[in-house]
Amino acid sequence: MNDQLLALVSQYGTPALFGIVAIAAVGAPLPITLLLIVAGSMISQGAMNLWWTIALAGAGSILGDQAGYAIGRWGGEKAIGRFGALLGKKRARLEAWEAKAKAWGGPGIFITRWLLSPLGPWINLASGTAGYPWRRFLFWDALGEMTGAVLYISLGRFFSDRVMALDAVLGNLTWAVGALLAAIILGYQLVASVRRARV
Amino acid sequence: MVSGTWRRAVWIGLAFVLAVAGTFVFAYRAGRQARHIHAANEPIRPWMSVPFIAHTHHVPAAALFQAIGVEPREPHDRRSVRHLARDLNRPVPQVIGQLQRAIDAAAHPPRGGPR
Repeated sequence: MNDQLLALVSQYGTPALFGIVAIAAVGAPLPITLLLIVAGSMISQGAMNLWWTIALAGAGSILGDQAGYAIGRWGGEKAIGRFGALLGKKRARLEAWEAKAKAWGGPGIFITRWLLSPLGPWINLASGTAGYPWRRFLFWDALGEMTGAVLYISLGRFFSDRVMALDAVLGNLTWAVGALLAAIILGYQLVASVRRARV
Repeated sequence: MVSGTWRRAVWIGLAFVLAVAGTFVFAYRAGRQARHIHAANEPIRPWMSVPFIAHTHHVPAAALFQAIGVEPREPHDRRSVRHLARDLNRPVPQVIGQLQRAIDAAAHPPRGGPR
């Protein structure tokens, strides 16, 4: 599946990239970072246009994110439950994400667009159900998606002959950042928990 | 007797240690891969097109098309290796093998040629 998507981008360029990033933003687990790196490499080979690629990759992601937000906001309980089940998550899990969306706010939306992107579709859905203001959501979403598009396409251009190696580095780096954030949150919880136990 | 609050603290502590260990392991792996990024051998994948492979291995695309016996389409032939293998009615690993041999030959040209 991933191979076919990469071949589509390699053969058909920006229109294929636009469609794939939009589908991924709604919640399909697709290798978007690798696709953007490959697009960057193809730009350096003269096979794609830099500005069109950044614009369409960003627009596709924003469109998909807005669809996720709309499902959460106006989809109703049934649609949200069905959408969650489709992605293998239960209602209780979505409620937990809802609480996270409220707590993290704008910076949470921003960071899950490009650094912790696997969490993005959940934050979209949860932002919608939590009633996070749409204009603010759109602002942080657009900022994060354009940051991701510029960052990964630029890296792909710079390391245009090392796309697979670069993808491996970024994959490990994403896990490291995710683990670091988890360590910080758990560290706070640990201190609070020990204090409570001592009282 | 250990209270529920302490038990909870122990579980959070274990998860914290795991998260810290994960941070170091993944950061180390990322750092090691980043250090060797220019020396890393870029594999040939079925989704790659011949011009893409030529670019990543610094070899002329014409040499690779010639190695697999394909006349490239004008102006840009961006068919994937899988697509080309299907058109040629050959298994994908065979086409990848031919491309790899052509890349190796370009990197290490035979000695004793004209001077």
